[in-house]
Order: sequence, then structure tokens, then C-alpha cells
Amino acid sequence: MTRMIMRRLLIGVFVMWGAASLIFVIVRAAPGDPASVLLGPDASREQVARLNASLGLDRPLLVQYVGYLGDVVRLDFGESHRLARPAMGAVFERLPATLELTLAATALAVIVGLTLGLVAGGRPDGIVDRVVSATTVALQSFPTFWVGIMLILLFALGLRLLPSAGVGTPAHMVLPAVTLSLPFTAIVARLTRSSVVEAMREPYVTTARSKGLTETQVLLGHALRNSLIPVVTIVGLQMGALMGGAVIVENVFAWPGLGSLIVDAVANRDYAVVQAATLLIAGVVMVLNLVADLLYTRLDPRIRMDGGS
Amino acid sequence: MTKFRVRGGMPLAMLSAAVATATVLAGCSTVTGGNDPKGAANRLTAAGTYAIESLDPHGAQGASTGTQFAGQAIFSRLVRPKPDGSLTGDLAKSWRANDDASEWTLTLREDATFSDGKPVTANDVVASFKRMMALDGPNAGNFPDYTMTATSGTEVVIKAPAPDAAIPGKLGLFYVIPADVKPDDTKFFDKPVGSGPFTVERYTPGEALVLVPNKKYWGKRAELGQVTIRNIPELSARLTALRTGEVDVVWGIPDDQLPALQGEKRLTVKTVPSTAVFTMWFNSSTRELADAKVRRALWQAVDFETIIKQLYPKTGTLADAPVAPVVLGHAAQSPVGHDPKAAQAALKAAGFDFSKKLRLQFANAEFRPFIQAVASDLAEIGVKVDALEKEQAVFTEDLLALKWDVNFQQLATPTFDAASNLGRLYTCAAKRNGYCDSKLDGLLAAAGSSTDEAERVKLYGRASEIIWRDAVGMFPMAVGIAYAWNGALEGFTPDPSGLPDFSTVKITGS
Repeated sequence: MTRMIMRRLLIGVFVMWGAASLIFVIVRAAPGDPASVLLGPDASREQVARLNASLGLDRPLLVQYVGYLGDVVRLDFGESHRLARPAMGAVFERLPATLELTLAATALAVIVGLTLGLVAGGRPDGIVDRVVSATTVALQSFPTFWVGIMLILLFALGLRLLPSAGVGTPAHMVLPAVTLSLPFTAIVARLTRSSVVEAMREPYVTTARSKGLTETQVLLGHALRNSLIPVVTIVGLQMGALMGGAVIVENVFAWPGLGSLIVDAVANRDYAVVQAATLLIAGVVMVLNLVADLLYTRLDPRIRMDGGS
Repeated sequence: MTKFRVRGGMPLAMLSAAVATATVLAGCSTVTGGNDPKGAANRLTAAGTYAIESLDPHGAQGASTGTQFAGQAIFSRLVRPKPDGSLTGDLAKSWRANDDASEWTLTLREDATFSDGKPVTANDVVASFKRMMALDGPNAGNFPDYTMTATSGTEVVIKAPAPDAAIPGKLGLFYVIPADVKPDDTKFFDKPVGSGPFTVERYTPGEALVLVPNKKYWGKRAELGQVTIRNIPELSARLTALRTGEVDVVWGIPDDQLPALQGEKRLTVKTVPSTAVFTMWFNSSTRELADAKVRRALWQAVDFETIIKQLYPKTGTLADAPVAPVVLGHAAQSPVGHDPKAAQAALKAAGFDFSKKLRLQFANAEFRPFIQAVASDLAEIGVKVDALEKEQAVFTEDLLALKWDVNFQQLATPTFDAASNLGRLYTCAAKRNGYCDSKLDGLLAAAGSSTDEAERVKLYGRASEIIWRDAVGMFPMAVGIAYAWNGALEGFTPDPSGLPDFSTVKITGS
């Protein structure tokens, strides 16, 4: 196990180098330069040139790249000229809000998705299964942006039950977390359903039934556990995707998270913030994937990560 | 029954439930907007159109609406514009120019203090000016090679390399901070010390700015106990927050949303003329658009009156000058009537190449319908237009490089003085739109150097006449800003620059 973790961490270093290099090239390949955006259309060409020089953007690209990698190794992610503070500092200010939202949405998706999947998979082709299947298809089809607006209109404006935007109280989290979780809930529910249906056909389930266990006991005690591996995989992968999907939800609900920071940074060609945020997200996704892999071994002891059988 | 458990832990669903609860509780820690019911009635929450990303009025974000808005609440200026555009003293109690307006002397009030109790001195003013110039941000661009010196503890002199009668107006964009704040001191702006009517209680960049009255303010103390400026980027969420009462003031409301708000009894809705004009420059340096007759004909081909009626019935009026009526130097010109047949004939007579596609660039999706309508009218007479919606970064770069044929901007004049619009953008040296006329240069220079306001208005009027006649651009619409606010607010004045002042506002019954 330790060897596997060390190996994954070593690979991680190369992944981070790749991510750092890729984002360095991508942000600079995009047309438009930071000075033009910072100074705005009222600036003169001379002012723009002076600011570009002071940002070091007039140096050869290779010199910039080497300097950037050296800084990253020293954990110096540069200064956001736009925000007038260290780029990673700005990212860390926003990270907790995004993590809160992502974790809440994941937890909701797992609770609701697992429950729906179990109920539907327990009695395949029954009415409940059909309703759940139709609902999950619908949930995956609705655009997040539209769902968010509809929820605001219904629960904030219509029923006046929940705040429409911002942060501050637990109530503020309900609508964004639900909005973000809906497509993910559908994925978890569909995956759980198909895994449970498959598991219920296995010989060990027949054995359990022949021992006199009730359907619920069979479902929860035997089928569910063996259905969880693909669910854990998808949860691990989807958490990274959720952080990306949070951009839209954060915008709709004025949720001050990382997504909106990155979007603004990209639009404003704030290279330092884009680079810092990308590296951080790459790191978080890597860790989540590692955690998912480790969870496999807890769920199914037959799976060994260190090359054993 | 066999119980399923994650080995050595709790069931996955329970784990999820625990995480959900924990994150919701953690959400309580990122408090915005205060939930303390004590004094809640005396609190105001506003949601503007832009995020406040920085509080440094001298830095790169200094000219952004968000930073300007925060700046006027936290810091003082030497002079500031009133909502009607006229100037009033802020830290300066008087100002006077020398004979050729190249040197301005400002006398400071003696009772002004910063929020930490220290007096505001001429040294603070000079150090702030030097800091602004050292940071070379967009506001520094108003003062190229200008210098400022303190001649006494209460007097400063600003010297321009050439006569500049617009200096008092330009100083409306210059904010005074304590002298010991260095150019690279960014920590100061986490909790800045200013001499404005408010101080910062809490600031989260891009999210919220919470202000409380400055107890050491030298002017009339703000009546509100707390002002929270929230960033709600999504328009429908912003307006919903206004309608549910979560937010008290919203502005920059599009026309199509106004009827719904006007139907709300507890809201007051008002549109005020702004300093902005829709400005569509022609690139006169291109062969196709070098001829004023061609440019004029293209203007004539577009039915702006109908487009405005359809798209901006409440916030738009047909413009009658390159600058808005509230700006000093505005002079009404004869309207350019819509006559597509005459336009087509004029283009043919001028030898216009109808096969050439004109690149019409703009930067904001909200203007897309307007641009499409313009392109459609031009297509009616056979003129092909490629409407290019660009990211702000690309737009600005291309704008300065003149990589366009027609450029659309909503051009504001925040100083309320035509000098910072006509005087800065239409000279040959500015190279902003490929247009160059030595007579226009002369008029603009004369207007910029005269301290006689009536004379300046007259000179800018003559300059506007040339710009209008030669169709340096099309100037279709004077822009209004729509505000909607909670009817319980008293003393709220909608601001033409989109920078409302909350220091004079109180909540009825609080």
C-alpha cells in the first residue's frame, strides 16, 4: 500500500509539471494581453507597453517559462496584478466556498442517488423503477443554469422560503447545492440501479435468499456493497467535474467560489491566478482519485493496490 | 442480517450525510451580509453591476466601476462631481488656475481627518498623487508628466506640461490616502484607512464590501448603520434579490426588466441620463472609410430612432452630440436622418466597394441585439458587415491596433468634462480612429487651455460640429441608467455615473 502511494505521488509530480506547462502555454496562446484588459480601452498604447514590460511579459517566452517553473518549485505562484495580491492567496480565499458547495452537492447526490438507485434496482421494471429512470434522464438533460434560475424563481421569489443568492446562512447553501447536485444525483442513481440489478442476479444473492433473508436484507446487506465500487469510482471522478461545474452555479447564485474567480481571471488574462488555480485543482483531483482508489480496497479486500493478487 | 459497513467506518450514506451536515454548518462560517437582527433596520444592501475586485484607487483597477464606487465611500478626493455634473470641493475648499491653466493651486480644508484620527495634510495629497503616478494605472493616464507639490500644510499645486483647464474635473478620479502607504503596499487595502464617509468593516474581493460610518469623518456623518455592497453577477438573481427584499438598491437594469419592477409597489424605479453615449467610430485610416461622405452615408443608412425605440425604450434617447448632455462641452447637433436611398446613392457616388465586408467589433453580449440591428439596416442597402463580438482582452488590443472598420463602445465621460473625451480621443496624436484634422486639434487644444467655461463650451461645440459633420463615428444613443430601490430609502439620488452615494441615505423609520 505504502509503495503504491509513493508511486502515485511520484507520478503526481510529473502530472503537476505537465499541468503547469500546459496551462502556461494555453493562457499565453489566447489572444489579448493582461495589460490591455487591466488598463481598459481608455489607455494609450504606450501605457499598455509599459505595463506589459513591468509584468515581465515582454521577455522571451522561454525565459518566462523557466522563471515560472522555478517560482512554482519554490511555491511562489506569482502576484495577481489585477487583484493586487498573491495569486495563490486569492485562490485559497475562494477555495473553501467551492469545497463547501462541492462537498454538499456530492453528499446530496450520494444520499439521494444511492437511495433512488437502490429502490429502482431492487424491483427492476416496476413502476418505481420507471419513474426513477425517467426522472434521472430528465435531471441529466436540464441545463444547470436554467435549473438554478427556476429554483430561485420558485423558492426565493414565489414561496419566499430561501434566499436567492449569496452566502451567510445554511439556507443560502440549499439552492446552489441542490442545483449542482441534480445531474450528479442522476448519474449515481442510474449507476447504482444497474449495479444493483446485476448484483441481484448473482449466485451469492440466491444463496442469501435461500438462507431466509428478506429482500431488504439481501439488498442492503449483499447487493448494495458489491454495487458500490463503480459508484465510488464515479464519485471520485465526478468531484473534479463538480468543481468545474460549480462555475455556472456560482455565477447564478453569486456564490463566491473558485469557479467565478477562474472565469474572471481567464477573461481578464490574469495569468498568475489561472495558473495557480489550475495547479491547485489538478492537485485536488489527483488526491481525490487516490482516495477513491484507496476506498476500493476497503470495499473489496480482493482488490490489492500494491501488485498483489 | 448482515450489516453493510465501510470496513472500519460508517455506512457510505451516513458518511455522506455527515459530510452534508458538516459542510452546511461550515457554510455558516462564511458570513456575508450580517444576520444580527440588532440594528438590521438601519442597514442597506446594494447590488451593483460590477464586482469590487480591489480597493486600491491608484492601481490597475483604479478606473473600474467597482473600485471607483468603493473609493468614493472610503476615501476623499480633492474635488468631486455632484450628480448634476458640477464640481464641488471635497478635501479642497477652493481652487484656482494661473493665467494659462497650466498650474492649479488647491487650498485644503483644515478639519479633514483620516479614520484613524490623523489629519489629512498636503503631504498626504502629494504622496497619494506620486503613488498614483508611480503605479501608472489607468487614472494616471489623465495626468501624463504632471507634477504635484505642497506649498504649505494646506496648499498643493499641480503643474501640467501644457495648459489644462480640465484638471479640476480630472481630480474627481484622484483619491487621497495616508502618505506612508507605499506603491507596493497591498496589505493596506485589506482594511484601508481613509477620510471618506465610510470605513471598511469587512471586504471579500469579488464578493462583498461591508461599510460602516467613519466616526472621524469631517463631514456630515452617514445615517446608515451599515452598507453592504454585494456582487450578484447574474441579472435575474440580482433582480429577484431586489424583489424579495434581500437587496435594497439595484442599478444598470435592462429595459426589458423594468416593467416587472415598476409593478412592485414597494420599489421606486427611475432612469437618469448618464455620461455615456453609444459611440461607433469608423476607422478613417482605411481606404474604404477615409471619405467623410462614405461615413456619413453609412450613418444615414441606419434607422437608429427605431432601433432605440425597440431595444432601449426607457434607457435610450437619440444622441445629439458626441458627448452626453450632462457633460460640460455638450453642444446639440442637427440629427442625421434615416434615408437609406440617399445613403446608397451617396455610397455609389463615392465609389464605395460594396463587396468589402466591414468588421464591426464590440465587446459585450448585451449589445448583440443592437449590433445585429445595425448590421441588418446596413445590409438593406447592400453594405456587408461582419459583426465581431470579442472578449474584452481581444477587443481592447484590437481597438488600440485599429484592427476594425467600425468600433462600438459605450463611451462614458466620468469627469463630466469633454476634455477627457473629445480632447483625449479625437486629436491626431491620439490615433484612436484614424481621423486627423488640424483644425479640430486646434479647437480642442484651445478648449482645453481656457479657464473661461463659456468659452470652453463654445469651442467644444465647434469641435463637436466637425466630428459630427465628418462622421468620425456614428453617435446613435445617449444612455440612461435605470435604478430601482426600496421605497423606504430616503435621500437616495440615482447617480449618472452609476456610482451612487449612500452617505446621505437613511431608511425611513430607522
